Formats: sequence, C-alpha cells, structure tokens
Amino acid sequence: MNEEKRPGGLTALAVLNLVFAGWGFLSLLAFGAFLAFRDKIPTENMDEAERAQMEALQEMSLSSFGVIIALSVIANVLLLVAGIGYLKQKRILGRMVGNGYAIVSIISSVVSARMFTAEMGGGVNIATLIGLIYPVVTLILLNTTFRDDLTN
Amino acid sequence: MRHIRLICLHWCRHAMRSGSGLVYLMVALVFGLSVAHILIMPVEQLMLKQKRELGQTDPEAVNQMIVGVGRPIAQWVLGLRSMQEIAEESAAPPSSAEDARADDPWTSYLLEEKPALLSAILLVMLFGMPFVISFLAFNQVSGDVQSRGLRYLLLRTERRHIYFGRFLGVALFSTLVMALIVATIVLYMTMKIRIYPGGALLVWAAQGFAALAILMLPYIALCSLISASVDSPFLSLVLAKVAIAGVLLVAVLGGLAWKPAKYLLYALPWAWQCHLLHPASSHWMAAGGACLAYTSVFLMVGYVRFAKRDL
Repeated sequence: MNEEKRPGGLTALAVLNLVFAGWGFLSLLAFGAFLAFRDKIPTENMDEAERAQMEALQEMSLSSFGVIIALSVIANVLLLVAGIGYLKQKRILGRMVGNGYAIVSIISSVVSARMFTAEMGGGVNIATLIGLIYPVVTLILLNTTFRDDLTN
Repeated sequence: MRHIRLICLHWCRHAMRSGSGLVYLMVALVFGLSVAHILIMPVEQLMLKQKRELGQTDPEAVNQMIVGVGRPIAQWVLGLRSMQEIAEESAAPPSSAEDARADDPWTSYLLEEKPALLSAILLVMLFGMPFVISFLAFNQVSGDVQSRGLRYLLLRTERRHIYFGRFLGVALFSTLVMALIVATIVLYMTMKIRIYPGGALLVWAAQGFAALAILMLPYIALCSLISASVDSPFLSLVLAKVAIAGVLLVAVLGGLAWKPAKYLLYALPWAWQCHLLHPASSHWMAAGGACLAYTSVFLMVGYVRFAKRDL
C-alpha cells in the first residue's frame, strides 16, 4: 500500500505520537531534575499535607523510581518509533511497535498508581484514567480501524 | 430516509479514519475527565485528611463543604449574582441556610437536592463542550467540496441526504462520546468517592447527559452551515472556532463598554444554556426547545446554501 492512501486518522495518530513522545521526554527530564534535588527541597514552609507528601517522596527508594523511569523511557521510545511507523504505514514499526507502546504504557500507569500512594498525590484517580486514554485508543484503533492500513 | 440513515452510520463509522473523530475523541475525553479531576481531587484530599485525623470519612461534612464553597461560584456561573455582590455577601455576617435556600432555589437544587460535585462538573462541561465540538463537526462537507469528491457521491444520492445524513452522523458520534465521558465520571464517583447514593448520581447524570447532548445540536448545525459555505476544511474549522468563541468574547468584553452588546450572547445558546439544568420544567423545556429551534434555523440556512452552490 502506498503512502498516498494513508487515512487522515492515521496521520493524526502519528502526529499525536510525536507530540506525546516529545512531551514525555521533557517530563522525564523534569522528573530526573526532581530526583537529583529531592533531598534539598526545603519542607519547612509547606503545610502539613504537602510536607507529608514531599517526605514520602523523599523516603521512596531509588529502585522504585528506576522502575518507573525505565518503563517511561521504553514507552516514549516506542511511541516515537511507532509515530514514524504510522507515517510510513509499516506493519512492524507501526502496528507491532504501536501495540507494544500501548501495552507498556498501560503497565506503566498501573505500576505508577501502585507505587505512588494517595498520600503522595498518586494512587488510582481520574488522572490515571486520563493517562490510559491514549494507549487504550491506540490499542483499539491499531487492531480495528487501521489494521489494514499498516501493511508495508 | 434510508439514504440519510446509511450516510449517518457511514459517517459515524468512518469518523475515526478521517482524523476529526480521533482528535475530537481525544480532546473531549481529556477535557471532560480533566474537569472531573480538577473538581474531584480536592474532595479526595479532604476525605484523605479526615481519614488520617478521624480514622473515617464523614460524607455529610464533605458534602457541606462542597455546598459552602460551591454556592457563590454556582451563583456567579448561573448569572444570579455578580462578583461584587458575592464579595459584599461574604464580608457581611453569614445568613442562615434557610434564607439562602429561599433566596435562590436554582443553586439549592443543583447543590443540595442533586449531587453537588456532579452538578459542578456538568456546569463546567456545559460551558466548555461547545468549544470542543467544532473539532468533530468542522469538516462535514467542505473537504469533499474541495476535493470534488462529492460529484461522485451525487451520482448515487441527493444533496439533502448527504447534508442531513452527515449532520446526524456528527450528532450521533458526539452523543456517544458524551455518554462515555459522563458514564466514566459517574462510575468513578460511585466506586471511589461514595458520598452520594448511586441512584441519585445515575438519575442526575442521565439528565446532565441529555442536556449536553441537546446543547451540542445547535453548535453542530452552526458547523454544518459553515462547512456548507466554504471550500476549505481548515477555513471551516477556523470560522467555526471564531464564531463559537467570538460571540461569547465580544458579548462579554463588549458588554463592559456598551451594555446592549451582551445581547449578542443570544446569537448562540450561550445566554441560557445553563437553564437546561434548571429545576423548573418550564425552564429546561424552553431551553431544550430553543436549542432545537436554533438547530433548525442553522440547518435550514446551511441547506439552502449547500443546495444552490456549485460543487
């Protein structure tokens, strides 16, 4: 199938992938900066709830953060590669990698919700559901609407 | 009717392939759930604090807090009180709850008789969803006019079938997305927040969903009119955005300088769309009827333009 027949929805999905991947890498940078300076953040002027939240984050082990960062890096790389795959309508780079991204991203959301408790401002809440929208939509579209468009 | 039904279902099925459906689905879901998150998060934190300090949550106290904070905001949003009046009232000694109820039955209905948190979410969605709908409805016919693709379609059907079929397709898709958003929020509130009875939430959510679904119709019809009048989908999107947001902006800002400018709000349902959540049946029925009247006018003007234009 040549690229001229690429449906508008697949192009939109590719653009969203590239935008979200860029956003994801920027978020990872910010998260890395937080990890580097988390022990130096002063908590004296915070209210009780904020202090409890910050202290819980400061006490969390680096290995736990490592798992979340590793999953986020993998999801963002897959997101970027799948975006290019959608544009070229590739079966492996597009459909397979896109499905891989969706599964890793769903696992990442579940793991994050389990690791960050409600006291830390995490847990299962509507933000978790918002985070699940794109991977779930990707998973559905790649295996139904765009299944026959990613064949190169 | 068979052609209209076929075109409607075909448009709905292919909305995701065309891109506009996908973008609308993403924007609407993120907007709707973000509104819910912003309003629910402080309540969850309050409940967490209660659990930490008292060992259990007190749903009645949480609800009282929501009503107390939400009342002046709701009164301002509904246009019942100005910012200045609210500021003066908060500086004066607190009046009794009975007085407030007698003063303002609409706010009491939304915050005390109905689940207050869901009322707040529905009010924000009623305000915000008209801005989102143009992402779905902007390209009903303009793309096909630009590519001359309609000529091939017109060998098999008529212009009126295409025009009204696609309008109904957009309305159906938008209604399904709205149902998904409202259902997700209600499910979350029923399972996680648990300060309102499930039945009350379900009934109020059904009313709110109906209000949202009806409110979208005039805005979709406006997009049909714009889409039938221009050749470029991008221009159609820009004009739809400018028309929907511009009316509100010019009326609000213009009203500050010249009072009669506020009547521009009546060019679209902006002025009275909150009445879809009014306790008096005469109000919400009139608001619903007006929505259908706006829809008919926009649709008919658009159809006249579409029927006469060179394709």
